[in-house]
Formats: sequence, structure tokens, C-alpha cells
Amino acid sequence: MGPVICRDNISVLISPRNRVLASKSSKKSRHLSCLADCSERMSLVRSFTLQALDLWQGTMKEVGGSFGSSVLSYFLFLKSLLLLNVFSFVINFSFITVPMLAYDHVPHVPPNVTFRGLELLTGAGYFRYTVLYYGAYRADSSTGLVHYNIQLAYFFTIAAYMVLCGAAVLYSMASSFKMNYVLSDPVGGGSWQLLCTWDFSVTNEKAVRQRKNNLRIQLKESMSERSQGTSLTPAEKMRHFGIHLGAWFISTSMAVGCGNAIYYLTTNTEDWSPAREAETLLVPFVVSLINLVVPLFYSLFNKFELYSSQRRQIYALIIRNVILKMSILGILCYFWVNEVAHKFLCWESMVGQALYRLVVFDFFFMMLGSFFGEFLSKVIGTRWIPGLGVPEFDVARNVLDLIYAQTLAWIGIYFSPLLPVLQIFKFLVLFYLKKVSLIQNCQPPRRVGRAAQMKTIFIALLFFPSFVGSLSLVAYTSWSLTPSRFCGPFKGLDSTFSVVVVWMNSLEKVPAAAWAVWVYANVVRSEIFYFLVTIIILFITFVFWQVTQGRKLLILLLRQQIVNVSVCFFFSKRVCGCWYPALSYFCHLNITRFRFQRFLPIYRSSFALLPPSSLGRKRQDLPA
Amino acid sequence: MGATASHLGKDLLSEYQELTFLTKQEILLAHKRFTELLSREDKNLPDPRAPTEAILTLPELKSNPFRERIVRVFSTSESRDGLTFEDFLDLLSAFSDSATLEIKSHYAFRIFDFDDDGTLDENDLEKLVNCLTGETDETRLTPDEMKQLISNILEESDIDKDGTVNLSEFQHVISRSPDFVSSFKIVL
Repeated sequence: MGPVICRDNISVLISPRNRVLASKSSKKSRHLSCLADCSERMSLVRSFTLQALDLWQGTMKEVGGSFGSSVLSYFLFLKSLLLLNVFSFVINFSFITVPMLAYDHVPHVPPNVTFRGLELLTGAGYFRYTVLYYGAYRADSSTGLVHYNIQLAYFFTIAAYMVLCGAAVLYSMASSFKMNYVLSDPVGGGSWQLLCTWDFSVTNEKAVRQRKNNLRIQLKESMSERSQGTSLTPAEKMRHFGIHLGAWFISTSMAVGCGNAIYYLTTNTEDWSPAREAETLLVPFVVSLINLVVPLFYSLFNKFELYSSQRRQIYALIIRNVILKMSILGILCYFWVNEVAHKFLCWESMVGQALYRLVVFDFFFMMLGSFFGEFLSKVIGTRWIPGLGVPEFDVARNVLDLIYAQTLAWIGIYFSPLLPVLQIFKFLVLFYLKKVSLIQNCQPPRRVGRAAQMKTIFIALLFFPSFVGSLSLVAYTSWSLTPSRFCGPFKGLDSTFSVVVVWMNSLEKVPAAAWAVWVYANVVRSEIFYFLVTIIILFITFVFWQVTQGRKLLILLLRQQIVNVSVCFFFSKRVCGCWYPALSYFCHLNITRFRFQRFLPIYRSSFALLPPSSLGRKRQDLPA
Repeated sequence: MGATASHLGKDLLSEYQELTFLTKQEILLAHKRFTELLSREDKNLPDPRAPTEAILTLPELKSNPFRERIVRVFSTSESRDGLTFEDFLDLLSAFSDSATLEIKSHYAFRIFDFDDDGTLDENDLEKLVNCLTGETDETRLTPDEMKQLISNILEESDIDKDGTVNLSEFQHVISRSPDFVSSFKIVL
């Protein structure tokens, strides 16, 4: 039965392709040749630019071929963050910096300040007066050819970038969630899933052998887990619960303790006077040191804590790290907003400098972390303590570092428009460093699977708390805080947002822009609008939720029906010869609408019901 | 066919692009790699067929545990041996980034169906597990473990409880596994 069926299918395969080819060749396409040539050229140009933008494709393939898709996801994440920063740099430079430079390209540096090497680390000194920071931008009416409103440009460029960024991250988070969480099996990770998701893109011989080994170990583990029937005694459960509670208490109190330490350090040492510039390096140093050392301490908890699945262990580690990093950043932001904003003359530039220092030190410590995490671990694992073995590439820790770095960049955009330059340089160096370190020092991950769900979690973490936190800080700064009175494009205004108010007032005199004034007055500034929008969104969410619940119930019912049908088929085949009409009537009655004929055993032995878009082609005309 | 083995006509290129999920760059690269596999006499034939041994020397397929099954499934010859250029394009198209889940799961099913009978019964599953865990005696699972594993698999995926996994059940399991699309990929 087998080969005959397949050969029939082959003829089915060949004929549509020939039919399509024949129909195309008989078309009289000569008179369209000019149009075809133009579109050909356009598509070539487009594909050329797409390939040029497809950075590092060879490296990605090499990494994916040897280490698999979970490690590859780190590098893809890094690449997408790099592109975000490039976009940010391009729009900031073209809309904010270039007009400022065109207006006045000589930085107003006081006579006693010269460039020393220390500026590269501290960001203060000579850099303070350059276009790197907020303070160098001025809103005096430009006397050039065109009147360019730097205030509006500054505000709207940054607002537009944040909105676009947020939309991009939100969209990718939602689509990733839909694909990887909603449709995935909650039980999953079972043996069948492990087998089906063999990574076909792994091409390295040694890597394939290692994967086979790992797969065998994982299969044995999952089988033994199932057969064990993990049932713990109440005493053991209490013990585990106590250990979990203790671990969470310790990790949270460490985070709070570190936050307090940073706050104490900043309030007592940061006076940011030019004479004691080198002291300003202390706080970023301590922050980065904490971010490097404490997560390693958290990973030690794995020795004591026993989680029911490895996934929960990774989630717990991620949550602890996020709490630590966000509490430190939160303390620093609180300090900047509440104390620095009232103490200094040009406080935005001061905050920009602090962020510059944080970014620089984060870069150094990331390189250091790569050295310790990978190179030293390998040396220890191979020479001194052979039992440890070659380290794995810790995707979770590295991605969290990237998210933290991007948070700093997002916070810093308002205070230092050219900070993305530093970030771009940092990510470029980091890419090559991590690639070399990975290939030299690490082995492929031992546990396969769940890469797609981890990717969703990382994007979700990028959105909240990273993007939402930085957006709320920038929004609070521009809405509630008074801009400094002596420097910057917004000096003299009550708040940054007042530029829009002033602009709208000036637009009222222009009759053609009445619609803009109306939109501003009745949509942007009215609370009723936001209230209505919120109510509508909540209602739609509730409706979708109810639909989802209903569909889950439907799936359960249909599954039961399939089992019933196959039992029915088994008995009726034995009982009477003419089973087909009766059974098909029964089945078509109930489930025709849902195209469940495929599930019937009747069709088991034939490929006649191929999906219409199969066989490597996008569309075809199958014979009926 | 409208093209010699050494050069791909523009019309044919756009037709291939319409009929498969590959871009023009990928088709041209595939053509280049395919002609390298042909022997000198075969290059002058109108529709050359690259032998299986030559195809298995491709670095993308060389270490793949399913390499022979892949060539068998995509081959259109009587003896299921060797691929023409169009078969090769079919292969790359099914394994490309833009192929849909339906197509990938359809071909995955055919690759895993070692005896080509349209269902995955216990023998197919056993061969599948052996393929993926190792061929030597030390690395194989014991018969007890194999039986246990197969019964676990059937419990998970056999919806109509007939003892085999058919295409629809396979696709149902695959649709709930988000890693499948990104791992069922071969790129030149």
C-alpha cells in the first residue's frame, strides 16, 4: 500500500508544477517586458539593501550551527537592540544635534577647562559643554535661513522615539506571546516534544554528537520523573516551602540592602564639584560591582533550593536579578529626581553625566564578567577542578545584562541625546567579544528546549520594567520637574511640556491649523477621552477572554468526541460490513464544520487529503 | 527546461521564486551549490540528477541524523535516489525560514515515517528514537526504556487511541510546540 500511494502523490506533485510553468510560458508577456525590467531592477535594489542590512549573517549561522537556537537568541536580541540604538542615534543626530551644530558649532567652554583623558570615564569636564548633554542646546531664535524651533524638535524627537520604540517592543512581545505561550502545551516538555524539535540547523559534527547525548539523558530523566510519581510527604513539602521562603527573603533583603547602600553612598559622596571629579567614579563602580557579584551569589542558591522543574528555577533566578537591578536603578532615579534636580544649576547635564558614567562602567564590567564567567570558568573547569567541566553560556544572565544596559540608554536619551553613540560602540564590541568567548570557552547547552518561551520572557522584561520604567521617568521629568533656569533648550519654562502649550497658543492665531488646536484641547488634555478609551479596552479584553474560555471547553469536548468516534468505528467495523456510510453520516453531522475528517481513522491510510498549500509551494491547484 | 546546468534563466528564476518560499538570492546560491555536486558528464544533461552520495557531502546535511530520509523524501525518481535541481529547491523551500508550519510539519511527518506507510507506528518511533540518541550499542536505550518511551509518546499524541500517530495528530502536537518552526530549518 505504501509505495503505490507515494508514487501517486509524486505524480500529483509534478503535474501542478508543470501546469503552472506551462501557463506562464504561454502568456504573452513581451509587451510587459519593460515593466518587468523595472520591477526586476527595483527588487534587486531592495534585496541588495536588505542583504546589506542583514548584519552578521555568517556569524549567526556559525553560532546557531554549533550551539543551537537558545544561544543564538542572545545574539539576535543583541542585534535588535543595536538596531534600536542606531535608529535613536540617527534621529537624535539629524533633528537635534545637526541644527544645533549648524547654528553654533563652537562649544562654549570656559577658559580654564581643557580636555584631559579623565573625561572619557567621567563624562564631565570638557564634555560637559559639548552637544553630548542637554545643557549645550539653546533655544535662542536662530538667525539662519530657516527658523528652527529647537525646543519643539527636542521634545517631539524624543517623544516620537519613545513611542515608536514602545510600539515596536509591544508588538514583538504580543506576537511572540501569541506564538510561544498561548499555543504551547502547558504539560509539554514531554518526550515527544523533545524528539520533534530536533534542531536541524546544527551542522557541526561534534555538536550533533553532544546533542544526541544530551537528548538521551533528557529522555531518561523525563521518563524517570514520570514513573516516579513525585509525591512528597507533608514534612518534606514544609521543608521545601521553608527553604523557598528563606531564599526569597534573603534575596529580597539583599536587594533592599544594596539599594540602601547605594543611596547612602550617593547622598554622602556625590557633590559633583569639578575639583573632585575622580570621586564621582565611585558610585558607578559600586553599582556595577553589585550587579556583577550578587547575581553569582543568587545562582549559588540553586544548590540548596529544589524546584519542581528547571523552568521554574530559571524564572526565579530571573525575577531575583530583575528585582536587584531595578531597585538599584530606582534608588538612583529617586536621588536624581528629588535631590539633584533642586541642587544644581544645570541638573539635566549632571544627570546625563551620571548616566554616562554608569554606561561606561557597565561596559567595563560586562567585559570583566565575560572574563570571569567564561574564560576563568573554563580554566578552572578544565585544569584545576576537572569535575566542573567546560562552562555553558548562561543565556539568562547575559540577556538580563543587555536589558539593564538598554534601560540605562533609554533613561539617558532625554538628558544626553548622543548617548546612543556610546551604546552602539558598546554593543558592537560586546558582540565580537561574546562571540569569541563563546566559541573558545563554552560548550553547547545541556538542556534543550523552551528557547521560544524564554525569548518571550526576555522581550516582556524589556518592555516591563525596562521600557515602562524609563518612559515613566522621562515622562515625570518632562511633566513635573522644572527645567534648569540657566542652560538647556527649555530654560525659562515651568515644565518641558509647556513648549507644547506655548506652541498651541501660537497656533491659535493660524486659522489653517484650527483642527490641531481642537485635537489638543479636546483629546490630549481632556481626561474624559482617556477614561473612555480605558473602558473600551477593558471591555474588549473581557470579551476576548470569554471567547478563549469557550474555545478551551470546545477543544475538550471535541477531543472526547474523537475518542468516541474511533471506539465506535472499531466496534462497528466488527459488527457490520457497511460501516462507512453510517459512520460518515454520524461524523459529518457533528463535526463537518471543523474539518475534523482528518482525524478519522478512515483517512489514515491515504494522503489524499493533502493540505492545499503543501509540498513546498505557496499555492497550487490540486486535482480534486 | 529552459536552462542549462550552468546558468539559470531570468524567467525560470522568477517562476521558482513564485513556486517556492525562497528568495532569488537563495535560489541562485542553491543553483551554484547544486552544480558543484554534479559530475562533469551530468552537467550537460537537460535535467541532471545529483546522486545521493554527492548530496550527503553537503556540510548542511553531512551530520544530520535524518540525512538519508530527507533525500529519500524529496527525491522524485523511481528508486528514490538522487535529487534534481527542482527537488533540491523543494527541499530548501520546505526547510526555509518562510515556509509555513503546515508544510514543515507535513514534511517532518514524512521524514519520520521510516516505512512510508502514512502513519508513525511503533517501529517508526523506535527507529526515530534510535536515530536521535545514537546508533552504537552503548548509546541506545534499553528495550524496556524504549517500550516505556514509546508508550509515553503514544499517550501524549495518539488522540484516537489506535496505536499509531497519523498526520493530523502529529500536526496537532507540533502546533503546540513553538520551538518546532525555528528548529526545522536548513539554510545554505
